[in-house]
Amino acid sequence: MREKETTLYLGPQHPGVTGNMMVKLKVAGDTVVKAETHVGYLHRAFEKLMEQRTWMQSFPIVCRICVPEPDPNEENLARAIEEIEGREVPERAKYIRVMILELSRLAAYMLWMGGQAGTAGLYTVPQWSVGDRDYIIDLFEELTGGRIYHMYIWAGGVRRDLPEGFADKVLRTMDYLESRLPEYDKLFFENAIFQKRAKGVGIIDKDKALEWGVVGPPLRGCGIKHDVRIDEPYEVYDKLDFVVPTHEGGDVWSRAMVRRQEMEQSISIIRQVIDKMPAGEYYNKVPNPLNWYVPEGDAYVKTESARGEFGYYAVSDGGLKPRRVHVRGPAYVHGVSLLEKILVGANISDVAFIMNSLGVCPPEIER
Amino acid sequence: MKTQNINIEKEIATEIQNTFHTAEVNIKRNKRIEVKLRNDLIPPFLSYAKNYLTFNHLAHFSCVDWIEQNEFELVYIIYSYEKGVIVLAKTRIDREKAEFVTTRHLWYQAETYERELHEMFGINFKGNDRLNEFILEDWEGIPPYRRDFDTVKYATDNFYTRPGREDAKDVRENVTKINKEEIPEFAKEYSVRSLK
Amino acid sequence: MALNLKGIISPYNALKQAGRKPHTVQYPYKKKEAADRYRGFHFNDIQECIGCGTCSTICQNHAIDMIEIEGLEVGPGDSGLRPRVDNGRCCWCALCVDSCPTGSLSLTKDYLYVSEDPNSFLLIPGIDNPDGQNRKSWISNGNSLLDYKRIPMRELEGQERVKSFAEVVLGYNEEEARTEAARCLGCGICTENCPVHMHIPEYINAIARGDDKMAVKIIYDNNPLGETCGKVCTRRCEEICAFTKRGEPIAIRWLKRYATETVENEKMIEEIVNPTILPPNGHSVAIIGAGPGGLTAAYYLAMRGFNVMVYEAKEHAGGMIMYGIPKYRLPLDSLDKQIEYLQSIGVEIKFNTKVGKDISFDEIRQHHEAVYIGIGFEVPYKLGITGEDASGSIQAINFLREINREKHIEIGDKVVVIGGGNVAIDAARVSRRLGAEVTILYRRRVEDMPADWEEIEGAEDEGVIIHPQAIPLEIITDENNKVKAIKYANAEMIPDPKGGRPRPKIIEGDEHILEVTTVIGAIGQEADYSFLPDDIKEKLEINRGRIVVNEDRQTSIPWLFAGGDIANRRADAIGAIADGFNAVKGIEKFILKEDK
Ligand SMILES: Cc1cc2nc3c(=O)[nH]c(=O)nc-3n(C[C@H](O)[C@H](O)[C@H](O)COP(=O)(O)OP(=O)(O)OC[C@H]3O[C@@H](n4cnc5c(N)ncnc54)[C@H](O)[C@@H]3O)c2cc1C
Ligand code: SF4
Ligand code: SF4
Repeated sequence: MREKETTLYLGPQHPGVTGNMMVKLKVAGDTVVKAETHVGYLHRAFEKLMEQRTWMQSFPIVCRICVPEPDPNEENLARAIEEIEGREVPERAKYIRVMILELSRLAAYMLWMGGQAGTAGLYTVPQWSVGDRDYIIDLFEELTGGRIYHMYIWAGGVRRDLPEGFADKVLRTMDYLESRLPEYDKLFFENAIFQKRAKGVGIIDKDKALEWGVVGPPLRGCGIKHDVRIDEPYEVYDKLDFVVPTHEGGDVWSRAMVRRQEMEQSISIIRQVIDKMPAGEYYNKVPNPLNWYVPEGDAYVKTESARGEFGYYAVSDGGLKPRRVHVRGPAYVHGVSLLEKILVGANISDVAFIMNSLGVCPPEIER
Repeated sequence: MKTQNINIEKEIATEIQNTFHTAEVNIKRNKRIEVKLRNDLIPPFLSYAKNYLTFNHLAHFSCVDWIEQNEFELVYIIYSYEKGVIVLAKTRIDREKAEFVTTRHLWYQAETYERELHEMFGINFKGNDRLNEFILEDWEGIPPYRRDFDTVKYATDNFYTRPGREDAKDVRENVTKINKEEIPEFAKEYSVRSLK
Repeated sequence: MALNLKGIISPYNALKQAGRKPHTVQYPYKKKEAADRYRGFHFNDIQECIGCGTCSTICQNHAIDMIEIEGLEVGPGDSGLRPRVDNGRCCWCALCVDSCPTGSLSLTKDYLYVSEDPNSFLLIPGIDNPDGQNRKSWISNGNSLLDYKRIPMRELEGQERVKSFAEVVLGYNEEEARTEAARCLGCGICTENCPVHMHIPEYINAIARGDDKMAVKIIYDNNPLGETCGKVCTRRCEEICAFTKRGEPIAIRWLKRYATETVENEKMIEEIVNPTILPPNGHSVAIIGAGPGGLTAAYYLAMRGFNVMVYEAKEHAGGMIMYGIPKYRLPLDSLDKQIEYLQSIGVEIKFNTKVGKDISFDEIRQHHEAVYIGIGFEVPYKLGITGEDASGSIQAINFLREINREKHIEIGDKVVVIGGGNVAIDAARVSRRLGAEVTILYRRRVEDMPADWEEIEGAEDEGVIIHPQAIPLEIITDENNKVKAIKYANAEMIPDPKGGRPRPKIIEGDEHILEVTTVIGAIGQEADYSFLPDDIKEKLEINRGRIVVNEDRQTSIPWLFAGGDIANRRADAIGAIADGFNAVKGIEKFILKEDK
């Protein structure tokens, strides 16, 4: 007998995403028949606002596109401008940028871990991981003066040099976090409840993954080894030694395993960065921010964020202000077209769980 | 910039040029090729790039408003994982009659991009039957990402400002007052303060 | 599925955490001290701040207003406004801090503020939180977004210069000019120090935008001798540029020079400036003296429809900028171009017409409704020492005038110049170009010299010897009454008990004799008012050699206006230009009011 279909509105507030987003579900019993993503709760028209601000004035804006991991935005915008203008960035600044990107990846994974466990009803994990993430936030505070939004990377390099003794602090924090990983394994990754919920759920079709625009851990969770840091190394990733973990299966579990292994890689990258970071300048000063005419041109740059390929398409018409900045967040695909596809057939109780595993961040969708 | 090895880019560029004679192909740097095309050639080009040249990742789809020329520039940013190269396929369409064809049949997620550009720029993508409300709600005015949409005016029309800041002065104006200086009309737009 | 025993047991491992010290919350509660760089509320050092408003312009959140502060007393170089931050809008990006030219603005470690009153989020940094001084966190020292170094000016090399009268300063090329112009913050505080209040930020911004023609048009709005000023202005504006607190001011003068030099001839000036010339209004004004002040008055009067006649004693216009300033600083063709433009739009000049000799003052008065006098200071002060009348002892301005007229003057190979002003330096540098060894004797210390420091450096580069604290006593002559040597005494500086500047006092017995072929005196000039009829002279208020005028450059005789060196103490070209410019407003007011 065909069960009666009902419509369910999930969100805009719910644990599946960092931010506000609603999924309109058609369900039969507790099985999703159709899912439709609804966004618009966070639209601030940043891209449009940038067209009314000078290039440097745009930096405090872009970081707000992503709360858990704002730094790829700053780095992308900086690199896009630098590419259009042909500006050199001091080597030290590049190392500092990589350090920040990896720290923010770790912080984002910590938050993801909390969310992923939380959506499975395992509430101790978020308590831990949010607490541990705070140590990274403390590092950011000391380095950049800001805890969540850093406004620290900008065109030409970074705004300030490392404070005294900062490198040691980072290393100590890395040692601590590394020592915590086995504990997270026991609490979370080995947890029977999590494994039961995660395995075989939210499967992405490996054959379709590339064409569908799946990126980041979800892609690597399909056993496909692509990572912007390797495919198109930026900053100094080509001088660092790390592996790109993959996991077969395409389900929530594989994505979790990829992230878990990447945390170790990030810790290792940060150690290498601190070891190799050269002395010297950290900022190649741009002209007066009120009077900076960036030459005509366009650039598409991308980074590997915690959620995958994060891209910026920036266009300058030779004026003081950007002609266009168009942000490509991984959630744009993961949270709309992909989500709508793979939610079909899922259990209602798995919806938030699956969303979290994709790393859906609504402000990336609507900016 | 360092001298870069761009052999693969050259290969791809030649290949494209040989297939699409009217295309303007330009290697921007390593891993970046720009292809400017007549707009009716975009669908065949994208399908060719995807199916023959392995550009199977639609990384981004953007629109730039060149209001001065009364044109929209559509930019398809496609990537070949195999070749490690990005192609920026660009074309211009009429801004008044903002219409184009969908590429949803090539990349299923193009639908979302087209929904966004439909909403923000008012471009109609023929063949996409899901150009419904996406980010905005009950929007009536001109599509807000068009250059002629005035955000400041929108904000002042729709929101009130908290009182208490009316005593703000403009520095340049204040100095002119001290000076008894008269800035001629034609020079006023050159006051940097007009940035605001 | 098999029972996942490990997966059930291992989470219980977490229980062992129970005995550990909590790492986030501390009991008893300890307030967390923010990091040294934490970006909290603003602090502003009110005394250091100059109210340039850059913080307000750069703030992408429109969080900063510039407001008047009660009781705040400021001088020139300060707009009198101070920033107020709307903490309801601020995002603590510190763009404002990093682009504050004076470094007065910073952020502090303070981040806690709770209030139910939404109107209480406005903070005047430094005034509402004076203690913020001790909690500064984000400061811009060494990390400013701004560029404090100006683009250096290219010049002929010192040894090369003395070979000819070729222009020493080479001028910015386009790229240099755009880069230098882009440094400007556009606050406009500099305009306070410009006597005519040129629209400096506007023309610099036009240059930055690549629109040189617009820059020229803006310059001509209140200065018809922009190119002259671009080359030789005393540029007091640069002294109060917002950048001076921490670095080098914008090269305002050189940028003006760059813009005006892009215009090749007077025709092009006319095309660019495209002045609106009002139809003749039937009124007539006389100008005595075609110095910069007189020419400026004539130009703007002509534009406003007045019939203007300039009476000039000499064969060329320009006054001291023609006959005083040496050609290596202001070449003749540049001056010609500027003056021809003025003539082309209707300024009429009667040359070789000295008032008092070739035409009487009364006659002028009869033909015109108002008169502007700008005759400058042309009579040199005497040194007042014996031997001054010997042959070989000359006055700097006479010397420079003859050289500028391309007359030959025999000065021999050893010249001494007496004085420390720009005229002295000019005479010295010209003498170097004539092949002489040159020593400058100056009463006080080098830092007391009124001459422009760039001029002093230039002279030194060219091999001029500056002998400070030296007081001339006597010019020694030979049997033909020709200069042979100069006798001078060294001086020590005696502090002024009243706090004034220290005075030189001769050191008894420390006298020296320097053999020279020529002595050039350059200790100042005064005006020659002998052409004025007695009744006028009686009514005219003159103070220490200068005619007293009001804001409209009107003298105590309503129809008589005066300006330039005879009326202002700045005694420079731009001062004269400002007088001419303002006199036009006065004359217009005076004549047109009579009309009614
Ligand atoms: C050597 C030297 C170097 C200088 N360098 C600089 C410099 O680098 N920068 C700067 O800004 N300023 C400089 N100055 C000062 C500047 O040139 C003067 O301040 C300025 O020219 C004064 O302008 P003015 O309008 O008062 O008339 P003046 O330039 O003094 O001209 C007066 C005019 O009136 C004419 N005149 C006088 N009496 C009569 C009469 N009875 N009838 C008709 N015409 C008469 C004269 O022939 C002359 O043409 C310098 C001056 C000198 C002497
Ligand atoms: S930028 Fe600095 S000096 Fe200028 S007004 Fe602001 S605080 Fe004062
Ligand atoms: S910190 Fe940033 S947002 Fe706040 S007032 Fe300064 S510029 Fe504006």
